Amino acid sequence: MAQPPLSSSVQPTDVYGGDEVSAIVLDPGYIHTRAGFAGEEMPKQVLPSFYGHITSSQRDVFGDQAIYPRADFEIRNYMNRDSAVEDWDTATKIWEYALIDRLGVPRPTPASKNGLNNKPKPAADGDVEMADEADLDETENYEKPMQENPLLMTEPAWNSPKAREKAIEICMENWACPAFWLSKTPVLAAYAAGKATVLVLDVGGANTSVTAVFDGMVLKRSVQRSPVGGVWLSSQLRSLFETSEPKVEVVPRFMVESKKPVEAGQPAEARLKTFDFQISPSFRAFEEEGVLKEFKESVVEVWKGPGRYLAQGNEDYAKNLPGRVFEMPDGSNQMWREQRFKVAEGMWDENAAFPSATEEGKITKAQTVPGLIKAALDAIDVDVRPALLANVVVTGSTSLLPGFNDRLHHELTAMFPSVKVKIHAAGLTSERRFGAWIGGSILGSLGTFHQMWISRKEYEENGAGIVEKRCK
Amino acid sequence: MSGSTGKWREEQVLIICPGSQTTLAQMGCNELTPPQHRFPTRMFPDPEEEGQFRPFHTYKRPKTTAGIKGEGGEDDYEWVEDVDSLEGAIYPIQAGHIVHMDAFLAFLEHVHQALTTTYHNTPIMLMASPQWKKGDCEVISRYIFEKTKTPALCLLHSGLATQYGLKWPNMTVVDVGFEKVDVTCVYEGRVVGHNDIGPENMGDTEREESERKQGISGGEFFTRKLMELLKDQGFDHEMAEQLKKSPVCEVLPYAADDKELMELPTEGGSTAGSNGTATSSAAPVEGPKIITTAAGADDDLGLDGEEKVVNEEGVLDVASLVVSGQTREFLAKQEKLKAEKAKAGRKGKGQETDAAAAAKARLPNSKRVKTIFHYEELITEDVPVAAPVVPAPAAPAPAENAAPTDVEMADSNAPSAAPAVDSGAKAGETAAKPEGEQTQSVAGATDPPTAAPAPETAAPPATERISRRVRRDIEVGLERFLFADRKEIDRIVDTIYRTVQDIDEMYMRPGCWENVVFVGNGARIRGLKDNIMQTLQARHLISPSSATMFTSELPSNIGTPSGTGSQTPTGSFTGQLPTSSSVNPLLQAATTAASLGVPGGPQGQVVGADGQMQPSHHFHSQTPTNIKLATLPTYLAEWTKNGFEEAMFLGAQVAARLAFCIHNLDAAGLEAQRSMSFGRVDYNELGPKGIRSHSMLT
Repeated sequence: MAQPPLSSSVQPTDVYGGDEVSAIVLDPGYIHTRAGFAGEEMPKQVLPSFYGHITSSQRDVFGDQAIYPRADFEIRNYMNRDSAVEDWDTATKIWEYALIDRLGVPRPTPASKNGLNNKPKPAADGDVEMADEADLDETENYEKPMQENPLLMTEPAWNSPKAREKAIEICMENWACPAFWLSKTPVLAAYAAGKATVLVLDVGGANTSVTAVFDGMVLKRSVQRSPVGGVWLSSQLRSLFETSEPKVEVVPRFMVESKKPVEAGQPAEARLKTFDFQISPSFRAFEEEGVLKEFKESVVEVWKGPGRYLAQGNEDYAKNLPGRVFEMPDGSNQMWREQRFKVAEGMWDENAAFPSATEEGKITKAQTVPGLIKAALDAIDVDVRPALLANVVVTGSTSLLPGFNDRLHHELTAMFPSVKVKIHAAGLTSERRFGAWIGGSILGSLGTFHQMWISRKEYEENGAGIVEKRCK
Repeated sequence: MSGSTGKWREEQVLIICPGSQTTLAQMGCNELTPPQHRFPTRMFPDPEEEGQFRPFHTYKRPKTTAGIKGEGGEDDYEWVEDVDSLEGAIYPIQAGHIVHMDAFLAFLEHVHQALTTTYHNTPIMLMASPQWKKGDCEVISRYIFEKTKTPALCLLHSGLATQYGLKWPNMTVVDVGFEKVDVTCVYEGRVVGHNDIGPENMGDTEREESERKQGISGGEFFTRKLMELLKDQGFDHEMAEQLKKSPVCEVLPYAADDKELMELPTEGGSTAGSNGTATSSAAPVEGPKIITTAAGADDDLGLDGEEKVVNEEGVLDVASLVVSGQTREFLAKQEKLKAEKAKAGRKGKGQETDAAAAAKARLPNSKRVKTIFHYEELITEDVPVAAPVVPAPAAPAPAENAAPTDVEMADSNAPSAAPAVDSGAKAGETAAKPEGEQTQSVAGATDPPTAAPAPETAAPPATERISRRVRRDIEVGLERFLFADRKEIDRIVDTIYRTVQDIDEMYMRPGCWENVVFVGNGARIRGLKDNIMQTLQARHLISPSSATMFTSELPSNIGTPSGTGSQTPTGSFTGQLPTSSSVNPLLQAATTAASLGVPGGPQGQVVGADGQMQPSHHFHSQTPTNIKLATLPTYLAEWTKNGFEEAMFLGAQVAARLAFCIHNLDAAGLEAQRSMSFGRVDYNELGPKGIRSHSMLT
């Protein structure tokens, strides 16, 4: 990595200069919690926000590797469907697990123990003198992790003030971080796209939201959201499987011991595993979600347009497109043709959505993607609309469905025929999945950002309320 | 800047691959040899100075001057190193995590000093486990640059190291270590996915040892499982470890239809095998290395007389005995033995032809219910002599004064070296050869495991503590197959599946599925990797009959109908859901798709609204449609012999050449090379944190 030599006029911000302050970026979402060091291009740790709870011992276990069939095992989630933290106690634990156990944020070592001060330093030529960074009071905060790392956290645009204060409290009180910042995900997604004025369409797991960001600030009135995200799409898939003839049963992967190839449409010939304990419904649902995810990845496609899927002739045309085969974990497989378009159509057209068993699964016109965008733009000044439509940033992993951007483009040009519409969507899967985190990584590594942090001192002087004042 | 990145000669580079148990190290990478040195990865606290470490256990003992005990003053004690003792050992790396940084640094220093003479001109290639934290790497680089005069350091991710060794651009590396299993997916030289299984709380140094060790995986797990199964027979850890490494112990192939998921041999099918547990020489399946010099035959039918004949030939060879991959039917064996006796030249060759002839009658290990396991242990004892006991600091001298019993003198090099079975067998062989005269009284064939008695009279007058190698024959039953715990293998299988399937970019997944490689000495357990592969294939393979290969890629090539209707598909496609009609619907789909005119070409993206719509080709197939082991290179004879379980060491050598020794690169190459390793100049400029960008960790 080529690093320009430091000019003497710039005071190094860190011991060795540069932008390096080892800030941590933490991006909690409903499906995954992402954590990593600022300045890196990908989050090092991506954990499911679901965690296991062992009912017999009242113990929580975190991370993918801990989630496997176990006795007395439930799957829970510390986030709620609004992408906000629901269970703060567990949130603290799972974040600590992510940051300290997995990411390896160093627990500070007192200078007497770090192995470098045992003998007088040899006067090695050309070596940099080590700064006495461990001059802090060694004992006071020794128990608290992360006292060397500022923390940048993300929040949804609709986060409550109470939740924001709680976040800074955990950061300052439990972890003794030196500095803290809270940033909204649409803003960070805009940074990740390298723009300051954008319309952000975030099609995530639990939510789809549309937010207008102007000069790096969220226009509060523009914030629109609906549950039409990955989880909702999964429920549509289940409805599809229910209504298929014959019914398609989702057998989660953990239940299959081995399978045999069968012809398409034939019943599965798989040997299933037996467990001598009860598999909880929550665990099964979590595992089924994994199969549905694979189905979404490899089969589901958004009807590209032009026109809606239900428009005259389109469905017939879709029926003639070659289908895709999906093999279930138990080996049964089937060709999917027009259904694979139809199942995602509900995101765009409420009339095409499969009837949902639950109340929350039903959506209205305002909750579809075009509906959200329309509502968001209606809520803001007419003058900024063209600027926003020329910078539509698409992020979130559900937006990776093939055809999504094409359809979006069609819908937008149909809605705003006189305006130039331009869509920016990252090409790499990971950039789309981790858009907000990447924006946080960029922001956290900027030299100028140091002046923005809420420092520990400020927090101590003003209390948790400062987050409302500073992090707009 | 590039001028300051000095180039080094290949023999100058120090290569260190630390493991939880054994650290592989070598000076120089000019030959691409298997590791020349193996250090046990452990340190001992220095009893004299707090916070310092020594490579061996050190203890105080009274000085003995001319046989007279000292009076007990301070001066009468001296510090002695005991190379065999494990007392107080600190293992700085556990399950890949550095749990004791000070000891680890001291250990690095120890390795460095043991191998280098020139102090200032030796760049270091240090392999890093994926578990190492960012902070760990910084502390290491800081230590290396400030405490030694090393000019450059390259940290190399162990998964990448394997990839460099085996040269496939895309692969999934399954590293079965001592207490952990790492699964790393590498795509075009970049780590794109990683998961590990091992102790859940390893990183948390504040917890109790036992709590941290919960949920270990890897080779040690299987040893413990064996120990648990054979507890009633009095197996201890060392015995279980040896049994695990012996060829009789194997993981049976995955049998999807069996209740136990493996085909265990049954009593009825192999009565003969269980009685006549003759071990034979020719072991074609067990690898080419075992040189067969003899066929020793043990049985429990009172044929000791005959046995002795065989043994008195002086060809009893522990190594080949252990290789009991095959057996003979009892009667056939007897006949053969007689025939052998009749032969004038009792050479191994003749036996081998016989063995081939009798091959039919033999049962492979996997078909026998019981077999004999030859356990060797080192018994260290102080032999009574006139003078006061003087324990020798090092392992005892060679075996000239061997007891003429069934006791072999230790080969003094053996204890620390040879973790692998094969090399272990070799050592045993060399140890056995000088012992031409031993008369093996077959005592332990069916006896419970008791040490073969060492006759008192046999002990020669010695003035040393001697270590003797005692061999015991222990009969083991199905435990030697049952140790392959299904749950544990499933854990590994699931981790592999999860790691590959969680790679973000779907197009990378097939490449990773097609080159799975198992490394780490835990993977040497017989049959383990085959079983894992079979399980993966039986459980996760997307069968080709479902025709993903025909259709899944097509839709992205077919354009949406344009205004003129030029892209509107015409054709005889019926659009029915696939049913079990006589025509294979999938084949039909494939042919239909072909008639649609796949050369969609650029039109495929007609709808792409503007330049921002980048993805021109999506890969959306379900994976895996193909799961294969990576082909191992054959052009490195020494490595083929050594086995590629240590391929990361090979890769570290290759990477060391690239990072430190390649000259005459173009500008881009130079830049890439500069960021491969962390030179002193960079260190001075960037400090320890520079290791993040100047290393091969991702």
